[in-house]
Formats: sequence, C-alpha cells, structure tokens
Amino acid sequence: MEQLLAAALSKGACNFGQIAVRKGFVLTHVDDVDLAQPETFRSPEDAIALAGFDDAGKYRPLKTAPNLRHGWRMELVDLGEVVRALDYFYPARLSILREWKEDRLETTPLRATLDRQSGMYRVAASISDEQIHEVVADVCRSDGGCLRRILWRRDASGTIPSTKLPPEKFEVPNEPLPLLCQEGCTILINECRKKVKAE
Amino acid sequence: MRDSALLIVGHGSTVNPDSSAPTLAHAAEIRRRKIFAQVDCAFWKEEPSLRDSLSIFRDAREVYVVPNFISEGYFTQTVIPRELELNGSLTKRENGQVWKYCEPVGSHPMMTELLLQRASEIGRDVDLAPTSLLIVAHGTDLNENSAVAAKREVERIRALGKYAEVLNVYMEEAPRVSDWRTLTKSQNVIVVPFFISDGLHSYEDIPELLGIEKRGDVFGEPYKIDNRLLFYAPSIGTDPRFADIIVAQVENFRT
Repeated sequence: MEQLLAAALSKGACNFGQIAVRKGFVLTHVDDVDLAQPETFRSPEDAIALAGFDDAGKYRPLKTAPNLRHGWRMELVDLGEVVRALDYFYPARLSILREWKEDRLETTPLRATLDRQSGMYRVAASISDEQIHEVVADVCRSDGGCLRRILWRRDASGTIPSTKLPPEKFEVPNEPLPLLCQEGCTILINECRKKVKAE
Repeated sequence: MRDSALLIVGHGSTVNPDSSAPTLAHAAEIRRRKIFAQVDCAFWKEEPSLRDSLSIFRDAREVYVVPNFISEGYFTQTVIPRELELNGSLTKRENGQVWKYCEPVGSHPMMTELLLQRASEIGRDVDLAPTSLLIVAHGTDLNENSAVAAKREVERIRALGKYAEVLNVYMEEAPRVSDWRTLTKSQNVIVVPFFISDGLHSYEDIPELLGIEKRGDVFGEPYKIDNRLLFYAPSIGTDPRFADIIVAQVENFRT
C-alpha cells in the first residue's frame, strides 16, 4: 500500500477523494491546501474523529460522501502513518484500488448482492430494474451522495445500474488515486429495501 | 501469531457514531502491540464493509476473525459467514489462504472478570456486602442470544458470593431496569450495561429508566436516588481491556 502511495506521490501532491495528500506526509481537505490557521493533528487515529462528522457536526455514515469536514491539517511522520490515516478517512479504498491496479479486483453485480441478503433485507431482492435505476441515481450520485466510481453492474448481463448518472460515474478516472466501488454498500441495500417496502 | 492477520468484526451503525468507536479503539490498541502482521476492522453497517475485508486481507496467509459481539446469534451465525464466504470455523481459500473464525468476544470466560473489575471501579470500592449488581441487556432481540450470555455472566458472578445480589435486568422485558428500586434491597446499586458500545441506550434510555435526570456525561459521580447510592457504568464493550479478550479469543482458537 505504501508503494502504491509512493508511486502516486512521485509527481508531487495528489488528491484522494476530498483529501489533498502532499509531500512531507501532510494531509488536508482539498479546499484547505492554503488555509492559514488550520487545526493541526499528528496521530493517524485523529482521522477517525475527523472523518466521523461533517462541517455541521453531523455524523457521516458514509465516509466517501462528499461532505468531508474542513479546517484541519494532519502532519504525519511517514508513509505508513499516511496510509493508516487515509484508511480511516476512506476505509478499504486503498486496498480496493491496489487490487484494481493489479487487475485482480472482483466486482459483484448489485443483484448478486441483493439476492444474498437475509432477514429484514431479503425483501430488497424484489426491487425492479426501474427502481434500481432511481435508487442508484439518488444514493450514488457524486454531488451529495458518494464520490466513488462504480465498477459493479446491475446484474450478470453487464448493464450499468442507472443511466441517470453520467457515463463517467462507471469508469475509472485517469487519476493517481481514484475512489473505486466494487460492490453496492449497506446504505444502498437499505435504500433498495425502503424503495420496495414503499411500493 | 506474528505471521497472521486479525479481523475484528463489529456491527456499526448508520446513525450512531459511538457504535464502531470501541471496535476501532481495540483494533488500534492491538495494532500498537504488534502481535499480528495486520489488524483491521470490518462492519456490517459501516466502512470498511465485511466484503471489503476480502480485499483488505488478500495477501494475508492466515486471517483470524473475531466478532466483537456479546453473543452468538444471527450476525455471528448467518451474516458474518455469508459476507466473508466462510464455511465453518476453518475456511481454506483457493489461493491457499486460511480464515479462522473465532468465537464472539462476549463468550470468553474472561468476560466475567472484566464485568467484576468494571463494577468495582465504577463502584469506587464501595463495600460489596450491602451492594446489588445489575447487568443490563436488551432482552427482546429474538435473533440474538445476548440475554443468554448476560444470564450466564450473572450466574457466574453470583456464585462468587461477593455481592448481596446479582441480577439480570432488561430494557424491554421483565425484570425491567425501571423496577430496580423494588428488585434490589441493598443500599448500593451498581449498574453495568452488557453492550458492545455506548449509544442512545446507555446515554439516555437506561439512565431514564433508572431515574437519573442528568444527560450527557452520565457515567461519573454516583447518584443518590431514594436514599440509595446508584453507580452507573458505561457499556462493558468500551472497556480498553476488551482488547485483551479479543486476543484471547484468537489464542482460544489455537488451543
């Protein structure tokens, strides 16, 4: 993972979601690179609290939502600490990216994820394709939903889950550290369930 | 265990930020001890997801999975094995990797000692002879055996004969938390929630059922209610010594 990060930083600073990763093991919000008096943190574990709440202090159940809190700066001592902090900000996203770069990332179609559910989520599997089209567009949209690029498909046919989202939402961008999604998350599954129950 | 990886599985929550906090803290502590080659968490309702951990641990030779749950139940028996593609306590993957599925933290015999320590600390070494100990559990979760685990702990502590009384109480069924005044006869009452994390139950619901008016930092000073002293502890799962029990569950698997 450190190699992945070192390669990404070889041409200087780079962004990972809403985080600017700079040389010298410094992290800030992408909007705060030139911020005059940020609150400074020095432990990777501080990222747990920073990632946990938005600017209004509201809990962030989805860490890849585009509402990362502003006003902080993290000064760390080595790449290992940077990896750990980034893993608190965007849990597992570096592991997923590494697998994608090594061409061994397994993606799971949404219907396979839904069909696997049990208990109160079993009903979500009866969602229609049209409903998936609506729910994915709402939950996964980059402006207000989630910053990840979607690599999973609706079903085994390979159809993208929603044409309401721009085509690039389903492509890997040409960036050093893209946020990738290999499988529908618990929030999406829950919204699928709610859609079915509401009908 | 130095060549092995450890995955601690928590439930997590999309509404309660305190739900995953103890699991993350225990993982950080175990990571600091450098016992395992890799230590990570996964959650049912938060990130990283259980499915993410298939990628997170792709290069590990051996992965110990410890559910940070109070008891065996729907999550430990159905959800975790399904999401992690485990078939029983030992799963060999095609790439030669071995996943070892340990028992949940709450099942370990060390839990009894931890409850005793927690009660003693919150009770500030008050004389135990005139003291009742109440262990709080949910009570109505049909799929979970948390009430069974809580009963087992109460029986073990009661058998030690240290407290005047040791009782199970529940939030949503009898014997109820709210009946503590009539259920107990002692001058001092120590209440320990048998939960994995703090949250609305421990911050608000249980204090209200106990008749504690304070909100926010409810776990400090003892409360004087109806001329009795009431000591109220945070959820047992927030105790830093939980990290020891997580490691002990791995050792338990190995023996």
